[in-house]
Amino acid sequence: MSLKKFSVLFEDLDSSNSTNNKIEILKTYFLSNKPIDNSWAIYLLTGKSNKRFVSGKYLKNLYSKIYKYPPWLIDTCYLKVGDSAEVITLLLKNENRANKKKLNNISLNYLLSETLPELSKLNEEDKNLVIKKIWETLPEENLLVFNKILTGTFRIGVSVGLITRSIAKLINIDEEIISHRLMGDFKPSIDSYNFLVNKNINLEELNSKPFPFLLANTFEEKIFKHSINDFQFEWKYDGIRIQLIKRSGNVSLWTRGQELVNESFPELVEKMSTIKDDFVLDGELLVWNFKEKIALDFTSLQKRINRKSPTRSIQIKYPIIFIAYDLLEINGSDIREIKLENRRIKLEKYFSKWQNRTDNNISDIFKICDLIYPKDWKDALIYKEKSRKNNTEGLIIKKKDSIYTSGRKKGIWWKYKVDPMQLDAILIYAKGGSGRRAGLYTDYSFALWKDQELIKFASAYSGLTDIEIKELDKWIRKNTIERFGPVRSLKPEMVFEISFDKIQISKRHKSGIAVRFPRITKWRKDKKIKDADRIENAYELMKIIS
Amino acid sequence: MRTKEEDLIKYKDGNLYCELADVWIDPSFPVKRALITHAHFDHFTFGCEEYIATKETAVLLEERIGDNININTFDYCEEFKINGISISFHPSGHILGSSQIRFIFAEEKWLISGDFKIQKDETCKQYEIVKTDYLISECTFGLPIFKWDETDKIANNISEWITNSPEKTSLLFCYSLGKAQRLLNEISQTNFKGDIYSHGSIYKINNCYKQLGIDIKETIKIENKNEIDKHKGNLVLLPPSLIKGTYLKNLKNIQTAFASGWMSIRALRKRSGYDKGFVISDHADWDGILEVVKKSEAKNIFFHHGDSESISKYLIEKESINVLFL
Repeated sequence: MSLKKFSVLFEDLDSSNSTNNKIEILKTYFLSNKPIDNSWAIYLLTGKSNKRFVSGKYLKNLYSKIYKYPPWLIDTCYLKVGDSAEVITLLLKNENRANKKKLNNISLNYLLSETLPELSKLNEEDKNLVIKKIWETLPEENLLVFNKILTGTFRIGVSVGLITRSIAKLINIDEEIISHRLMGDFKPSIDSYNFLVNKNINLEELNSKPFPFLLANTFEEKIFKHSINDFQFEWKYDGIRIQLIKRSGNVSLWTRGQELVNESFPELVEKMSTIKDDFVLDGELLVWNFKEKIALDFTSLQKRINRKSPTRSIQIKYPIIFIAYDLLEINGSDIREIKLENRRIKLEKYFSKWQNRTDNNISDIFKICDLIYPKDWKDALIYKEKSRKNNTEGLIIKKKDSIYTSGRKKGIWWKYKVDPMQLDAILIYAKGGSGRRAGLYTDYSFALWKDQELIKFASAYSGLTDIEIKELDKWIRKNTIERFGPVRSLKPEMVFEISFDKIQISKRHKSGIAVRFPRITKWRKDKKIKDADRIENAYELMKIIS
Repeated sequence: MRTKEEDLIKYKDGNLYCELADVWIDPSFPVKRALITHAHFDHFTFGCEEYIATKETAVLLEERIGDNININTFDYCEEFKINGISISFHPSGHILGSSQIRFIFAEEKWLISGDFKIQKDETCKQYEIVKTDYLISECTFGLPIFKWDETDKIANNISEWITNSPEKTSLLFCYSLGKAQRLLNEISQTNFKGDIYSHGSIYKINNCYKQLGIDIKETIKIENKNEIDKHKGNLVLLPPSLIKGTYLKNLKNIQTAFASGWMSIRALRKRSGYDKGFVISDHADWDGILEVVKKSEAKNIFFHHGDSESISKYLIEKESINVLFL
C-alpha cells in the first residue's frame, strides 16, 4: 500500500468524532481494498508498528538545523501543538518545496521494512540526508503520517477495540474471536489479513472466549435493612479485573475491556497451565507484597500492565498474584446459574489445595479471595475503614443467593468504598498539558501552609470540567509571577479541595508527605487562601489511619 | 506590551489611548470618544458618547448597538484632525469596513494595525501597506506553525466535504460577521451548487453586506431549527456558540466543521468537538505579520493580542528590528 492511500484513510478517520462513523469508514475501506493493503492499515492503526525510528527531539533539532529556525521557537510551537511530528509538519509548510519533484507513491512496505529500519545503521549526517530528502519530496498531505510513523507516535483515536469491532462487523463474528486473532505478532501480509477475516472459527478460538463480566453497583443504604447473613463480604482490591480461562490446556487472560493480556503476564499463564482441571475463574490481578500479604500500590501494577514480554527481573521486581473470587465454569460445565454460596463451595473444593500445597509453584501466584465476616452492619463499617491499612479500596458486598449474570445489574454486587481524604490547598504552579490538552495549562501543583510559608504537597491534573479548565487557564495567564520553561509560578489566590486515597510519610518530598491519586474535587471559590489547610492537618490525617 | 508615558499612543487600563487627542481605540469600557477599527464584539462597547469609524463599520455598529448612537464616519485615507492630531483610516482586509488607524503628530507617525489579513477576500477592501515610524500590530497567529493555504483551495475542500456526504446535512460553523460572508462568496464559486441556509445572526449580517453593495449569494434563513437535518446534501451556516448546549440535540445525519485559523492544530480541533476543521482565517499568518512589519518600514514595533513574546524575540534575534515589549 502507498503512503498516499493510507494518508487518505487517516484523514477520513480523523474527520469524524463518531465511533459508528469510524467503523463504517473502516468497513468500507476493508471492502474496497486488497487484503495486503488492509493488513498494512491494521498493522499501523493497531499500533503494532509503534517503533520509534527517531525521537521527537531529534526531529525538532534536525528541522532547526536544516531550515535555520531557533530551537526555542520550535519549542514554543510545541507547547501550542503538543506533538512533535505535527509541529514539524506544520512548520514544513513554510518551506518552499514547490519546485521539487513530488514522490507520489512511496510504498509503506518499503518505507517500514527498508528505509526506516536502515536509518539506525547510518551515521547522523546520512540519516539527516534521508529524512530531509523525504521531507522535500513528499506531497504535503502525506507529511503528517510520515512524521508520525517516523517518531512512532501513531495514535489517532482509533483504538484496537475499534479495529476489532470493524472486522467483527465486517464478517459477522464475535469481537472476542477477532481480539484473539489480533493477539501477538502481526506481520502485514495477505495471509495475516485472510486469517483475521476467516469466517470459520476453530475450536481453540471458541475455547478462549470469556463470559461477559458481572459488575458491582455503588453501595445503596437500603441493603442495611437486610440481614447481614444474606451477604458475602470481600476486600475490594485495586488491581485489574481478569477472567482466567483454561480450556483444553490453553490459558487465556481477559480484561474487562475485552483485551487479551497473556503476553503481559507470562508467568501466570505458565503456572496455571499446570493445573489439570479446565475452568473459568473471575478475579483480580495485583502486584503483591508477599511478606506483608498486601497489594502494592497501583503504580507498581502499571509497570506490568503496559509491558509485553516482561523480563525475568521485572517479574521478580513486581511479583503478581491472581486472587480468585468466583468460579464460573469447571471442567466444561457452566455454573453461572447456580447460587454464589454454592459457587464459592466449588471454588474452595477445586482450588484451595493449590494455595496450601508447598510442592507446587502455584501458591506463589494464586490465591482464593479471603472472606470477611462482619457481625452486623456497624461492624461492616469498621471493616471498611480498616481497608486503608491493607491497601484495599473498601469492601465488595455480594448477595449469597445471586447468580452470575452480566453487566451492572442491580441488587447483586455492591462496592462499598472508603471515603477519600480531603484537604483544601492553594494553587501555586501550573504547567502546559500535551496531546489533547496542548496549549492549555492543565497540570497543577498545590500547597499547604507551614507557618507563614506555602509548601508544595501534591500535583493533580484531573477533576475539573472543560469549562473550568478554560476559566482557570485564563486566570493562570493573568496571574503568573514567573515562568520557568513550561511551568508558571502563580499568585497564591485560588483554593481547591484535593481528594486522595492514601497518605504516607515520604523523604523524597519537601513536604515530608506523599499522597496517592490526588485529584481536584472542588474549586473552592468561596475560600480565601488563609482558609486553606495547614501541613499539620495532613499529619493529623496520617495519625488517624495508622 | 509596554508603552512609555510620553508615547503618542499608549496602553492604559488594558486599552490603547491617545492622550493628546483624548481618543480611545476599540475601548472595552464606555468612554467619551472611541475610534473603532471594526465591528466585532470584542472591539467595541456600548455607551460611548461618540464613535468614529468608517462608513461600513458604522452601518454594522448600528446593526449591533442600535441606530441611536452618535457616530461620525470617514472614508478610507481621508485625514481628519482632533486636537491637532492628524488621523486616518486605511483598509486592513480583516472584514468589511475594517481599518488600520494612522496618527500623525509633529511628523511622527503611529499606526495601529487593527485586526488584519493579507489574503484574498472579495467581501472587503484589500489590506493597504501604510508606512509608519511606530507600529502597533496584532499577532493572534504569531507563530510559524500558522501558514494559510490559498482561499480557493479551502473553499474547494469545503465543497467536496459537502458533496461527498449527500445523505447528511453539513453544518459549517463560522463567525457571523465577516467569516460567514467570505465563505459564502468563496463557496458559491465552487462546484457545490446546493442550497445554503443561515442562522438568524448570520442572515442579518448578510443583509448589511448587501446593503453596503457587497454581492453575496442569497441564503435561506433557518426558521425551524429542528428541521435542519432535513436539508440533506445542503449547507447550513451557524455561529460557533451553538456547538455547545442543546442546539444540535436530536439532529441526526449531520456532519459538523469549524472554519477558523485555530483548526490547524489537531488538539484544538479534537477538543472543540467538531468533526472536521477548515483552516481559514481573517487574521494574518506568521508570514503575513512579518511581511507587514517589513513593508511598514517601522523602526519601533509593539505587539498585542496573542503570543507577542515569541514573534518579538524572533524579530530582535533574526531581523534586528527594534521590538519594544516587557
